[in-house]
Amino acid sequence: MEKEALGPTSTLDQATLDALRESIASVLAEQCGSIELHTFVDGKNALDKTLWAQAGQLGWLGLGIPEQFGGLGMGAQGLAILHGELGRQSAPGPYIATLSAAQTIVETGGNDIRQTWLPRLGSGEVSAAVPATLDRHSLTRSGAGVSGTLRCLGGVDAAFLLAPADDAWAIVDLAGAEVTVAPMWDRTRNVIDVRLTNASPVGILPDAAATCAALTRTMALAVAADSAGGARSITERTIAYMKTREQFGQPIAGFQALKHRAADLATKLAVADEMVRHAVQRTVTDEPDAELWAMLAKSEVTEACVFVTTDCVQLHGGVGLTWDFDPHIFLKRARLNEVLIMANTALRDRAAAALAAMTSSGRSALELEL
Amino acid sequence: MSILEAQHDLSAFRQAIRDWLAEVVPSDWKARMARASNEEYIAFQRWWMAERSKVGLAIPHWPKEYGGAGLSQRHLIAVADEMARADAPQNRLFTISLIHMPGTLLPHGTEAQKRRYLAGVANGEVWCQGFSEPNSGSDLASLRCRAVRDGDHYVINGQKIWSSNSMYADHCLLLTRTDPNAQKHRGITYFIMDMRSPGVEVRPIRQANSRAEFGELFLTDVRIPAGNMIGAENNGWRVAQATLASERGVISFEGGERQRYEIEAFYRKSLEAGAAWLRDAQLHREFVSFLAEMQAARRLLRRVLQESETPSASASVLPSIVKLSSTALRQRICSFMVRIGGVDGQAFALLAEEPFGSPMFDFLSAFSGTIAGGTNEIQRNIVAERGLGMPRV
Repeated sequence: MEKEALGPTSTLDQATLDALRESIASVLAEQCGSIELHTFVDGKNALDKTLWAQAGQLGWLGLGIPEQFGGLGMGAQGLAILHGELGRQSAPGPYIATLSAAQTIVETGGNDIRQTWLPRLGSGEVSAAVPATLDRHSLTRSGAGVSGTLRCLGGVDAAFLLAPADDAWAIVDLAGAEVTVAPMWDRTRNVIDVRLTNASPVGILPDAAATCAALTRTMALAVAADSAGGARSITERTIAYMKTREQFGQPIAGFQALKHRAADLATKLAVADEMVRHAVQRTVTDEPDAELWAMLAKSEVTEACVFVTTDCVQLHGGVGLTWDFDPHIFLKRARLNEVLIMANTALRDRAAAALAAMTSSGRSALELEL
Repeated sequence: MSILEAQHDLSAFRQAIRDWLAEVVPSDWKARMARASNEEYIAFQRWWMAERSKVGLAIPHWPKEYGGAGLSQRHLIAVADEMARADAPQNRLFTISLIHMPGTLLPHGTEAQKRRYLAGVANGEVWCQGFSEPNSGSDLASLRCRAVRDGDHYVINGQKIWSSNSMYADHCLLLTRTDPNAQKHRGITYFIMDMRSPGVEVRPIRQANSRAEFGELFLTDVRIPAGNMIGAENNGWRVAQATLASERGVISFEGGERQRYEIEAFYRKSLEAGAAWLRDAQLHREFVSFLAEMQAARRLLRRVLQESETPSASASVLPSIVKLSSTALRQRICSFMVRIGGVDGQAFALLAEEPFGSPMFDFLSAFSGTIAGGTNEIQRNIVAERGLGMPRV
């Protein structure tokens, strides 16, 4: 019943998706270009804050939230476009944590929690934190309080943490908690250490397995989309550079050894995009293999993105390893994406187990519409 | 209701194909072909073409005026999908006849040529392609096989190579040099050559996989009527682009779908048998990665089909990207199968009944994907230059 009301939206048509992508891309191109991004990385502007405010006003933060909670109801397709475009510009901000927490609340939060948090998350009034990895640590519950220390993805000003607490998941208000910033090589992301001592949760999501599965899937789709967007963007920037950089009296883009590498990168990008689209599509139509494909999309696409960004550093030559050029920003973001949620080996193990279970029960995980 | 009569309802059309396949495809065809001689294999291919022809599925996508049924691409995709699903035989002997010949004649042939040759395919006429030469592979436009006008004929002298099934062919799509002094792309002329003409000698080439699917053509004073020219004299390079472009599309789609069923059957059997490789976590991880890439490849092949019906299709490098990714994936999957097959997997066997039942045969055969139809290195040039705008030097 509830599932029907809040379940995945129907597949959106391509024109709607293209228009959404276009509008997000144009805002980010204007506000989060290379110069603004480098200035932010150097700590000389508040790009993360201005983008977040803008995102709230433009409704980006409510893209995946159903309309009855103040969102736009565009589901996983809308979110994948947003994360892909944020990845393209390496945009700073707590998007993956906040939007994934919101999506998890949509799926397993119960009505009180949905009504309390979804409108505030969708407007950008608050942001959220989630554990950076989902297979390691849990908070402990004793009586009404939860305790423990977790390394989380999310801003230092996150309003709440959504995290496992023994046999349930808890929403913990971070107002009184001990939150410290963990400086990362990827400066476009915030990682925080949260220490809780007998804190009172403001909400409990009792179905731990479903909640963990929902967060795993939504984060996996978000990270995969971000990586695919980042990989495509740094490849485009790298090829543009290769067309202007001259050695031996010609642009280095004319050398066949480099052209072939660029073609291989373009091929990897095409495959990565389809992996993301496939996983999103399986989620949108609520297939039993949706989680399997989301986990595989994350593991495959983040590794492809590490390969691509690494090669883009190399294709730039000397300037590729300088602080002032773009590749290192994308490379660092790619490396963090690679290890979020859980190790890719663990994700593949889970996907393999899911595949074996489906196949043994006579179902196929390889269906694809014509 | 016959299959063609059901065409206005796509699901009835599919069901009719399914029923027909269940009736006509011998359940032991793979086992038989695994043991078959070349002659038996060819006879089987001709039998299969005749069966398809009986129900109107030999050339269903061609215009009605040339013997086809004028079916849409959607129908063609349904046919390919059902063939893959049923693990029905492929029409390898007729690939050039079904794909390259109409892809060339429909846009560039004369009315007389279309009438004479198109309908012949349903009757079992086999075509081959005379493009590559020993010294003109990736640099196809450097070809040297000479054609010299002599009255109302052209006289051909030269050599062709990598010509699939030319040993069994009735006709050849032939590229020749008519003007050796022109710039290399401008002196090429395209002909239809009767393979029974005096002066045509074909020698099979045995491949690493032990099969002889290609032939080498030795052409000595072969006379071709001028009416067999496709397009204008010295305009053959442009016509050849249509031939090369025709390789993109439904045939690759069907290959992708066949691989899906094959790998799924392999996995199901592995689970049922409790295969040892499943207990190796790293191999199992590698396997699910293949599946992720395979789904992406199948989606990309669908995009190529969608794109092929748009005006921008000829400028797209997506077919090259798809070839690069799916042929490399095929090679890695087959390599994986060899690795997990151990010593038994390398016991000499050709096409096997079981999915990946002769992994070394599959592995060796997979090179045709990365080399034929424009090597993957040539595809990389195309992607880089036409797709990414990197300069040609």
